Amino acid sequence: MTRPARPLAVFAALVAAVAVALAPEALGPFHIRVLQFFFFSAALATAWNLLGGYAGYWSFGHMAFIGIGAFAAAHYAMAFGGGGAGPASMIAPVAVGALSAGGVALVIAYPLLRLRGIYFAIAMLGVSQIAAELTNNVGVLKGGIGVFLPSPTPAGMPPERFFYYLFAVLLGLCLLIAWAIRRTRFGYALLAIREDEDTAMMLGVATERWKIAAFVLSATLTGTAGAIYGYSLGYFTTYSVFRLDFSLNMIVFCLIGGIGTLWGPTIGAALLLFLTQVLLSRFLDVHLMITGALVVATVLLMPGGILRAVGELPRLRPKREGGT
Amino acid sequence: MDLFLQTALNGLVLGGIFSLAAVGFSLIFGVIGIVNLTHGVFVVAGAYLALVLHDSFGIDPLIGVLPIGAVLFAVGYAYQRTIIHWAVSRASVEASLVVTFGMAMVFRNLLQLWFGPDVQAITPSYGFQSVAIGEIRIDVVRLAALGASMVILLALALMLARTHFGRAMRAVAQQPLAASLCGLDVRRIFGLTFGMSAALAGASGAIIGIVQPFSAATEVAWTLNAFVVVVLGGIGSPAGALIGGLLLGLINAFTAQYVGPALTQAMMFLVLVGMLLLRPQGILGAAYGETR
Amino acid sequence: MDRRTLLKTGAAAGALLAAPRLARAEAKTITFGGSVPMTGKAAETGLNVLRGYETAVKFVNEEMGGVEIGGETYALELQLFDDASDPTRAATLIQRQVDEGIGFFLGSFGSAIVLPTCSITEAAGRIMVQAGGGSDLIFTQGRRRVFGVFPRASRQFVSSVNMFEALEPPVKTVSIIHTNDPFSQFQADGARQSCAAAGIEVLDFIALPAEVSDVSNVLSTIRANTPDVLICTTHDQTSILIARQMISSRTNVPMLYQTLGPQTEAYRKTLGGYADGVVTQTYWDEEAPFSGDWFGSAGDFAAYYRAHFDRELAYHMASGAVCIVSYLQAARNAGSLELDAVRDALAALDFRCFYGPVRFTEDGDGDAALMGPKLMQHQDGELKIVSPPESAAAEPIHPAPPWRERA
Repeated sequence: MTRPARPLAVFAALVAAVAVALAPEALGPFHIRVLQFFFFSAALATAWNLLGGYAGYWSFGHMAFIGIGAFAAAHYAMAFGGGGAGPASMIAPVAVGALSAGGVALVIAYPLLRLRGIYFAIAMLGVSQIAAELTNNVGVLKGGIGVFLPSPTPAGMPPERFFYYLFAVLLGLCLLIAWAIRRTRFGYALLAIREDEDTAMMLGVATERWKIAAFVLSATLTGTAGAIYGYSLGYFTTYSVFRLDFSLNMIVFCLIGGIGTLWGPTIGAALLLFLTQVLLSRFLDVHLMITGALVVATVLLMPGGILRAVGELPRLRPKREGGT
Repeated sequence: MDLFLQTALNGLVLGGIFSLAAVGFSLIFGVIGIVNLTHGVFVVAGAYLALVLHDSFGIDPLIGVLPIGAVLFAVGYAYQRTIIHWAVSRASVEASLVVTFGMAMVFRNLLQLWFGPDVQAITPSYGFQSVAIGEIRIDVVRLAALGASMVILLALALMLARTHFGRAMRAVAQQPLAASLCGLDVRRIFGLTFGMSAALAGASGAIIGIVQPFSAATEVAWTLNAFVVVVLGGIGSPAGALIGGLLLGLINAFTAQYVGPALTQAMMFLVLVGMLLLRPQGILGAAYGETR
Repeated sequence: MDRRTLLKTGAAAGALLAAPRLARAEAKTITFGGSVPMTGKAAETGLNVLRGYETAVKFVNEEMGGVEIGGETYALELQLFDDASDPTRAATLIQRQVDEGIGFFLGSFGSAIVLPTCSITEAAGRIMVQAGGGSDLIFTQGRRRVFGVFPRASRQFVSSVNMFEALEPPVKTVSIIHTNDPFSQFQADGARQSCAAAGIEVLDFIALPAEVSDVSNVLSTIRANTPDVLICTTHDQTSILIARQMISSRTNVPMLYQTLGPQTEAYRKTLGGYADGVVTQTYWDEEAPFSGDWFGSAGDFAAYYRAHFDRELAYHMASGAVCIVSYLQAARNAGSLELDAVRDALAALDFRCFYGPVRFTEDGDGDAALMGPKLMQHQDGELKIVSPPESAAAEPIHPAPPWRERA
């Protein structure tokens, strides 16, 4: 269906890339920081969407991979140094962070993915709590007292701009992967799992293998984002990276934008962050309440997300039973 | 040996409180199939109400349980009939997770605006007494809390087993469609279940208030605890909540004594995940069969 | 009327019309930016610090009619927002204020917030004076424009050990309970090192999780292994829980020393008479014999605060207020509001006020000898300073009577 539109899409992507590359010239550091956080959040939501949106496995504990990525990177950097200075010093630690998150996912994937629906969600929540508590309370992991990552910003460049580009590239990567998956066997297998796992298995789809692949890929991308996020903080403790609201926001962004779609997570992140970080940042006492109310309102008013509400993607939603 | 017995006793007492705090969560999960992340807020709201009753009117929290339960019953009923019902009928059961989380944020913020962010504690007259059997000691508040929890759980079990409402609730849990064909007002039952769950949460909050300090921010811990209790013990029944709660209490106490108090949370969730993998329906299984 | 007079009258009339506007422009303002946790876990202390900032601003604006610096009078203005203890949120919003040109920042509460935000202000050449981050990392990474009114965490226990050594009978053993977060853990590590250096044996070093519901088991250990002093570097909520369970389980130690908690109203309300004998630390007390410009004496500050705010007074209010007072004193000394001049004046600051002597180390944290914590003990329902001797209002009661005799 997208074939005729492809040159247009490529052109649009190019325009977007150029716009992102040039935007910092026109913007002040504050807006660069907001955009930086937006890229980070959108990348997370896109990574979550690979598993939650495509395969229908809602993880309520993806913060585990952010934290694992960040702490693994920090411990690697503290133990072995980054190797080199400036941005090059990040490469090895971030890779270690990403691989650690992916590795942990690989280990837990087989047992956890046998659970379905709400049980998988709860199990992931449990996993993320275990990871957080161990990081915080096992002395050598230093989660309680905090870990430190040296600044990788090249000389003469403002840090917010450096991380802006880094997260922009990461988001681009996540989107590219998400886009590519959708048009391969992998993507079709995941959608088949979401729509009806048992039938898919019966029809010969290797559901187990595809699910695990999606889970590990999603975790690896999340871990990468976490490691870079760790660098952007410089110093962090358990609760700066293992945050329940990260887990939740990934889901909320996808829900708002349109779960299971390519652009939904990004659009959801853009919308909600604009509201909470820019418009509502001055409402001191009630910003939690407003955020919560917004989340509730979106789910109630646009249960399929904005993309579907606009009618661009009238794709079927699996009918769910239970409840009223 | 004394240390072992003391630890076991500490665990059981703590577990009794966990059981009561989780049973409402378990009911909703079992009957309506919803994971209610607002649960912890109801617990903390109960504690705040008990504080107000105690400080302003001198009502002991253990007596305050009744009015507090009534107030939260109304809140829970209204909550289900509006927001929860809309969420489930318009979106999905998973989306209801997100909705209840959003509402938890709203309620937490309201509690914080109303009562301030400060840590509160209720100190009844018997707050510093303890009973000793040989070398083993136990606080009177904890004993009272345990007793009250057991009484409430027993009353609930009797109600589910013996009354018309209890039977109707179980019928709806097992087969909503068949139940409504038999002339039961399923929606009303859902509302009443939610109300009852909130009332139980509020009652447990009042009891928790005399045992440990609380603030609006502690609501998250109570929701997570309820999660673990339900997954451990089994869904939808007071007996399941009791077993899950007591187990959780024991796990907590023994980990704190023999592994390190900092690792209790990690151990708790480790058991949760292990349990999910080995026996996701909990020790007693889902009370209402395999309909979900 | 010739042309000249016409012009003159016109000019005069113009001047008259413009006069109110000029007068208003003359009342310049100094804006302080920054964030404070007003919701979330750290909100309790966050609000205390915030009230401190507000007290200073209110006093300077309303009682002093502004502050005179370099021949001009300025009013003060606060632009603080809620960071909800979220480092990213804090960093983003601090960046907005940096962009808007705010030069003077006040600190949030909690090192995990202060560190990322002070990196931003430092990089932009702005100044931060804070009363909420004690982590050593804030001061040991070569920042030149970040000041803290508390000594760094690892130095906060020196004065306590001094008291332990002066007690009769002398303290030989301690046990330490802490929470696994940077504030509590740095303090506990500091306590352990300071005790070890003084030859005091540390019997147990127990970590608690952030959410504690029951410490019965920890207390079993303490009963089995009774130390001379039980040190808790836990936060308010946990401290109350520990004390309550110690009382009901009859866990008696000669001295219970809790760094946070006993200062609060909730603590006194919960424990009643049992609070007597509990030792805590404070960075300021209203009865301390300090005075100076700005608020007058410590007692005057307390009176002014109580007349205008409802929240229970704690030392955090004074610590918050002294951040602003330090800024103003430095600017006055420098005779300018220019960033570099104020920074240098802050670094050179050495004056006394209601808070006591104020002097920063070369790294920017409070001088541990002058601005370190004083020790207080609950005696007859009141908190009294018991150490160091020069500011003490009472002798320490040691060993404390067993719980059953307090009530």
